[in-house]
Amino acid sequence: MRALDRGFRWLLGQRGVRKLLRDRVALVALAVISVYVGIAALILFFDVITLDETTERVGPRTMPGVWESPSLESRLAFAELYLETVQNALDKRSPEKALAEVRFAELELAALSIDERQALLDEGWDLFDELDELDDLDAAAERDPGVLAKLSRFEETAARLYRRPTGCAALKYRARLLLGTDRQGRSILVRSIYSIKVATQIGVVAALISVLIGTLLGGAAAFFGGWVDHLVVWLYSTFSSIPWIVLLTVLASMFMGSRFDGGLVPVYSAFCLSFWIAPCRVIRGEVLKLKELEFVQAATAIGFGRARILLKHVLPNTAHLMFINFSLLFIGAIKAEVILSFLGLGVKNEPSWGVMINHSREEVINHFFWQIGSATFFMVVLVLAFNVLSDALQDAFDPKHVG
Amino acid sequence: MWSYIVRRLLYNVPVYLGIILVLMLALRVNDPVWARLGKSASPEAYQAFKEQMGLAEPFWRQYLTFLGKVFAFDLSDESWEHTGVSVGGLLRVSFPPTLAITVPALLLTSLISISVGLVSSFFRGRWLDRALMFAAVLGMSVSFLVYIVFGQYWGAYALNEHIEGELFAVAGYEPGPGNWVTYCMLPVLISTIVAMGYDTRFYRAVMVEECGRDYIVTAMAKGAPKRKIMFVHMLKNAMIPIITRIMITLPFLIMGSFLLEMYFNIPGMGRMLLQAITTADFPVTQGFVAVFALVFILTNVLTDVLYALVDPRVRLA
Amino acid sequence: MSAREPVLQVRHLSTCFRTERGVVTAVDDVSFDLFAGETLGIVGESGCGKTVASKSIMRLLPEHLSFLRPESEILFDSLDLARADEKQMRKVRGDRIAMIFQEPMTSLNPVFTVGWQIDEALKYHTDLDRSARRARAVEMLRVVEIPDPERRIGEYPHQLSGGMRQRVMIAMALCCEPDILIADEPTTALDVTIQAQILDLMEGLKRKLDTAIVLITHDLGVVAQVCDRVLVMYAGRLIESGPVLDIFHAPRHPYTRALLDSIPKSGRRERGGRLRTIEGIVPGLHELPPGCRFEDRCAGREQRCADQEPALEPLGQGRAVRCHFPLPEEV
Repeated sequence: MRALDRGFRWLLGQRGVRKLLRDRVALVALAVISVYVGIAALILFFDVITLDETTERVGPRTMPGVWESPSLESRLAFAELYLETVQNALDKRSPEKALAEVRFAELELAALSIDERQALLDEGWDLFDELDELDDLDAAAERDPGVLAKLSRFEETAARLYRRPTGCAALKYRARLLLGTDRQGRSILVRSIYSIKVATQIGVVAALISVLIGTLLGGAAAFFGGWVDHLVVWLYSTFSSIPWIVLLTVLASMFMGSRFDGGLVPVYSAFCLSFWIAPCRVIRGEVLKLKELEFVQAATAIGFGRARILLKHVLPNTAHLMFINFSLLFIGAIKAEVILSFLGLGVKNEPSWGVMINHSREEVINHFFWQIGSATFFMVVLVLAFNVLSDALQDAFDPKHVG
Repeated sequence: MWSYIVRRLLYNVPVYLGIILVLMLALRVNDPVWARLGKSASPEAYQAFKEQMGLAEPFWRQYLTFLGKVFAFDLSDESWEHTGVSVGGLLRVSFPPTLAITVPALLLTSLISISVGLVSSFFRGRWLDRALMFAAVLGMSVSFLVYIVFGQYWGAYALNEHIEGELFAVAGYEPGPGNWVTYCMLPVLISTIVAMGYDTRFYRAVMVEECGRDYIVTAMAKGAPKRKIMFVHMLKNAMIPIITRIMITLPFLIMGSFLLEMYFNIPGMGRMLLQAITTADFPVTQGFVAVFALVFILTNVLTDVLYALVDPRVRLA
Repeated sequence: MSAREPVLQVRHLSTCFRTERGVVTAVDDVSFDLFAGETLGIVGESGCGKTVASKSIMRLLPEHLSFLRPESEILFDSLDLARADEKQMRKVRGDRIAMIFQEPMTSLNPVFTVGWQIDEALKYHTDLDRSARRARAVEMLRVVEIPDPERRIGEYPHQLSGGMRQRVMIAMALCCEPDILIADEPTTALDVTIQAQILDLMEGLKRKLDTAIVLITHDLGVVAQVCDRVLVMYAGRLIESGPVLDIFHAPRHPYTRALLDSIPKSGRRERGGRLRTIEGIVPGLHELPPGCRFEDRCAGREQRCADQEPALEPLGQGRAVRCHFPLPEEV
C-alpha cells in the first residue's frame, strides 16, 4: 500500500506527468482506454459475456442493424426463418425435445397448444407461398399496397409463435440485435464487444513482453557495451531485415500441427519476436546517452554493482519511452492481428475484429456493411485513443518533440 | 565515396549471414519433408526424398551449400510444387507484378505525403494543419485490411456499377503497360492511402523542425519571401531525413504488397511466397526469403549511400 | 556632438509572447534613438530582452506566438516598422536594415554554398545580373578579409572556420549597403583573438559605409571597445542609457555599477579573495514584482523601491536612468 502511495507521488512529481494531465485530449483518450480495459477485464474475469454468447444464434442471417430498414425480400426471408425453425423442430423425431431447444437468445417459444401452433404454421406457410410467388417483391408492393399488408401479417404470424421477452431480458435482446447479425445469425454487437477482450489480451501481452525484452536487451547492450552490444545490434539488424509478414508466416507455420495450433501462443510469439526491435533500439539510444551522465558515475563511485545501477537507476529514467513504445506496440499488435486473421494465421477459437473483418469480405459485395463497420468502429476508437495518447506522451516527456 | 560504399557492404555481410542462418533454422523446425509428403508417406519414400533434396546432410553443410548458391546467384533449385520450374524462374515471373504495384505506390505516396506535409507545416497550428493531422491519425487507426475491403468495394464493384463498365478490375492481373490502370491502379491507390497517415505526420514534423532553425531566421532577415524560404531553404534541408525515410519505407511497401497481391490475385513475389509456405514448397520458401532479405540489406546500404550523397556535410567524410 | 537626425527612432516598444501560462512581456516600454554612423550597444544578462528587442525591430519573431503592443512605434525613414506589412518589411530587411546572429554555423544554410547565400541577398534587393552579382559577392568576401575569395565562394559553410563564417555573415549582411546593421552577440561564439578581428572589421566597415550598428552583447569588454553609446537592460526594462565612457566611469544605476564591479580586474586584489557577484537571480517574467525589478538584489534598496517602479528619468548630456535612488556622480 505504501509502495503504491510512493509510486503515485513519484508519478505526479514528474513534470511530464503533470503536463500530460493538463492535456484534455489526452485525458479523454485515457478515459476511453480505461473503459475498454475495464470491459476486457469484466469479460475475462467475470464472464460478463461468455464465449457461447458470441456463437449463439440471435436471429436471422445477415440482418442489418437497427438503423437500416431491410428490403422487403429480406424481411420475408427473416420471418421465414422464424417459421422454419419451428417447423424443423416439429419434423424431428422427438419434437418435444427439439421444440424445447428452439430459442434465439432471450426469444423463446410461446406456450401454445399443439393446435394453436399448427394453425399459426399453416397460416404462415400460406402467406409465405403467396408472397414467395411474386418475383420482385419491391415492384409488386409498389403496384399493389396489399402486398405490404400481407407481408406485415406474415411477420406477425411468425412472431406469434414466440414469446416476446419482457423487462431486462427484452432490453438485452434488443441490444443484441442492435448492430445486426452476421452470416450465421450471431450478434455483431456481442461479438464486437467480446473482441475487445481478445484484442486487449493480445495487445497487452504482446506489447508488454516486447517492451520488456527490448528494454532489457537494449539497456544491457548500451550499458555493458562490448560483445553484448555487438550481439544485440546484430540480432536486431538480422530480425529487422526479415519482412515482418514473412517472419509471422514462418513462425505460424512452425507452430502448425503442434499442440499450440489455433490458440494465441503462435500469435504472441510472432509478435514478440518481431516487435522487440523497436523498443530495443530506442532504449539503447537513450541509455547510451544516460550512461555518460554524472549520476551513473556517482553510483559507481559509491560502489553499486553495474547490474544494479542499470536496473534501479538508469532504466527507470527511460520509463517514459517504455510507455510510449508500449502504446505504439499495442496498436501494432491489434492491427497485426487483423492481418494475421485474414491470412488464416491469427485467432481461431474466438471472435476477434480480424476474424470479423475477414468474414465480412463476402458480405460487403452484397452491400452489407454492418459487420465490417462495427468491428472497424470499435477497433478505430481504441487505436485512435492509443495514437492520441502516445502523441500526448511524446509531447509531455520529450522536450524536443515536434507536435 | 567508394570506400564508404565498400565499408557499408562489408558491414552488412555478417548481418546477412546471420539472417540466412536464422531463417534456415526456422524453416527446418517443422520438418519440410514431412510437411511436404504428409504423415502418411512411407519411411522409404521419406528417406529417398530427403536425400534427393539434400536435406539429409548435416546442417552446417546445408548452410554452406546454400550460401554458396546465394552468393553465386544460383537459383536453379527446382520448386516442389511447380515441377520443372526453378526458383529463379518463379522469381523472374513474379517480380514484374510486384514491381508494378510497389514502385508507383512509393512514388505516389512520397509525392502526396510530402505535399500534404508541406501544406500542414506552412499553416502550422491553424485549423487546416489540425484537420489534416487529425485525418492522418484517423487514417492510421484503420486497419490495412479495411481499406482493402472498402477499396475493392467502392473502387471496383460500386464504381463499375455506377459507370456501367469496368474501370478497375476487381481482381486479377495481366502484364503490359496498357493493363496497368485496370489491374494495378486500385491497389496502388489503396497502398498510398494506408501509408499517407504515417508519412504525412513524419514529413510535417521534419519540416516544422527545419522551420525552427537559425538559418531560416537569417533568410528572413535577408528579406526572402516566405514561399522561397519554405520551398528552397527549408525543403532542401528537409530532404535529407525525407529521402532516408523513403528508402526505409520501401521494404514496408514490399510487405504491404503481400496483402494486396493476396487480395487482388496479383501473381507477385509476396503471393508466391505465401503460396509456397502453405503448400510446403521448401526450395521456393527458402529461396524467396533469402532474396527478400537481400533486398532489405541492399536497401540499407543504398540508404546509407544516398544519405552521403544528399548531405554535403557527409560527402567529405 | 552635432545634432543629427536619428536614423531609427524606437518609441515605447513592448513585445509580448503568448505562453502556456499567459501573456508575458519580454520587452517593456523601451525607447531609444539610433544615429547614423554610431555604434549603439545593448547590454544585459541572458533573458533581459535585448535579442527580442532587436528581432522586434526586424519583425522576425514568430507571428502566432508574439505581438507588439499597439503603443509601440519603430520609426525608420518615414515608415513605422511596427505597423508595416510583410511586403514592406521584406523590402527593408537585408537592404536597409541587416542583421547578423550569434551562431554562424547554424545561421548559415548548410546545404548551399557561401556564394549562393550572398547572391540571394543581392538577387532580392538589387537589379544586378548574374555575373555582376557574382563579382560583387567576391568583392564582399575580399572586403571582409577572407583570403582567396574566388575559391571560397563555392564552398559550403562547414568547410570554413568559425571566424570565417562570421565574416561571411557580415558580407551577406552588408552586401546591399544597409543603413543599419544589427549584430546579435556576433563574437560570443568565437574565441578571443578572432573576436578582436571581427570587431575591428565591423568598425572599419561602419566607417566606410556610414552604417549605424546596434551591437547586442552581454560582454562589457566588447562594449567598452567598440560602442559609442550603450543601453542597459534588465528583465525587459531599459534601466540606464548614455555615452559609453560616461557610464563606465560613473554608472548611476546600482545594477550597472554591480556589473562593472563584477569584472575581475588584473592587478586588483579582491577582499577575501572572492570574485564579486550580484546575489540573487533575475525575476521570472511571469512573476514580476510591482516595484523596481532589481529591488531584491539591490544594495541600496528602500521601501519605496518595492512599492513603486521607478520611471526612466533623463539626467542630461544624453544620459537616463530608471532608479529612485541613482548613485551619485563621482567627482
